[in-house]
Amino acid sequence: MREGRRILDGASILVRAGEAVAIEGPSGSGKSSFARALATLTEVDSGIVLLDGRDVHELAPTDYRKRVAFLAQQPAMFAGTVRENLESGPTLHGKALDPAKALALLESVGLDASFLQREARSLSGGEKQRVALARALANEPEVLLLDEPAAALDPVAGGLIVALIRQLARGGLSVVMVTHVAGHAQALGGTRYRCERGRVLRAGQAEE
Amino acid sequence: MSYVDITLPRLALALGLIAVAIVLSRRGRLGLEKDLLWGALRGAAQLIAIGYVLLLLFNHERPWWVLLLLSVMVVAAAVTAARRVERGPSRRVLFPRALAAISLGALVALVPVFLAIVPLHPWYEAHYLIPISGMMLSNAMNVVALVFERIFAAASTEADQIEALLALGATPRQALARQVRATLRAALLPTINGLLTVGLVALPGMMTGQIVSGTPPTQAVRYQIVILYQLVAVAAVSGWLAAAFARRLLFTGRAQLVLPPRIGL
Repeated sequence: MREGRRILDGASILVRAGEAVAIEGPSGSGKSSFARALATLTEVDSGIVLLDGRDVHELAPTDYRKRVAFLAQQPAMFAGTVRENLESGPTLHGKALDPAKALALLESVGLDASFLQREARSLSGGEKQRVALARALANEPEVLLLDEPAAALDPVAGGLIVALIRQLARGGLSVVMVTHVAGHAQALGGTRYRCERGRVLRAGQAEE
Repeated sequence: MSYVDITLPRLALALGLIAVAIVLSRRGRLGLEKDLLWGALRGAAQLIAIGYVLLLLFNHERPWWVLLLLSVMVVAAAVTAARRVERGPSRRVLFPRALAAISLGALVALVPVFLAIVPLHPWYEAHYLIPISGMMLSNAMNVVALVFERIFAAASTEADQIEALLALGATPRQALARQVRATLRAALLPTINGLLTVGLVALPGMMTGQIVSGTPPTQAVRYQIVILYQLVAVAAVSGWLAAAFARRLLFTGRAQLVLPPRIGL
């Protein structure tokens, strides 16, 4: 609820381990709020989020968010190099990121070693999105929540990001992607939901 | 002990200095004339009033009167520090926090000094207690106001950064660390700069006052040194507390960033 207005009502989805889920809907339909609620970045007045059958309120927010990564539409880069950005998640949890792992993460999102020393804030939109993805993966999450990962990108870069996310899902990561582009929901493969006027309805399975 | 007596007509002449600024404000169309005049009169009225209050207090030095005046000063400082902060919570929410930050900072700076360095006999000796406390409270007030102003502004402009950190599993303390650091540095800098330039550029008020009214300069500077160190302590403690209070206002118990107008509804 925001300013007394219900943004979401009757929204429920189930995501299995390793499943890819796309939630599509026009802007203002409440799908971003839904993604933020799943990421526990917004408090919901009613409704519950369960992870492995456990209510998130039983888990420390820091632990939950380590296991369930969230990427905003235009993820903020932290000041410093790409390497420092990749290290930020593990550093927050008192761990160090192995240099080989940093490189592997970067390669998994389609960037090469030359990016490690680049200033993160000077990258293009698509590159930032990839670095943010690698940064989130450095925490080794089980679930990846994405809010319109392609919305701020041109069609080509957007298509590439969606393909990359699909690849990650195939690798065993559970993915929930919110998008207003039906083509992207289709391209992700997996289960599709539609978000309309605050309701999330199952729309079927994308054809492989 | 001798000093030049300022008669009331001579005091009125000093208004000429304000007139200079008013003329410049008019010519430069700064639109500050009303503020200058109001500020000059209000400042004078407040000082003249406190002059009589102090006179009264010195003649009838009673612990309750001294404590009452100190309380009024603390509350006035807190009200000022909790002035409507843009992109921050309401005055009602900020006031008790400003009050706590200012009082605790002042206590840390004042109590040890009055116990060990400038021992007071009796403990409520207004000659020392009131002016030195006043300096601490005013520094605490400025620091707290600055911390509130900057931290809520930073949280609002850098909300995406803070949320990105939270999404990576950062605690609120970790997520806001950069903004807190920058804010506290900015809040402490004026006090530190004061330490660096004192004696070279600025002869501080207390010292000047003591010298003008006949205290030997060598003693006056010792007082000033103690006061400068106290100002550092008060700025550090009050600033740190204000930042901690602001952080608690900015996050829910579930480590979610809440920005105005939603905080402190």
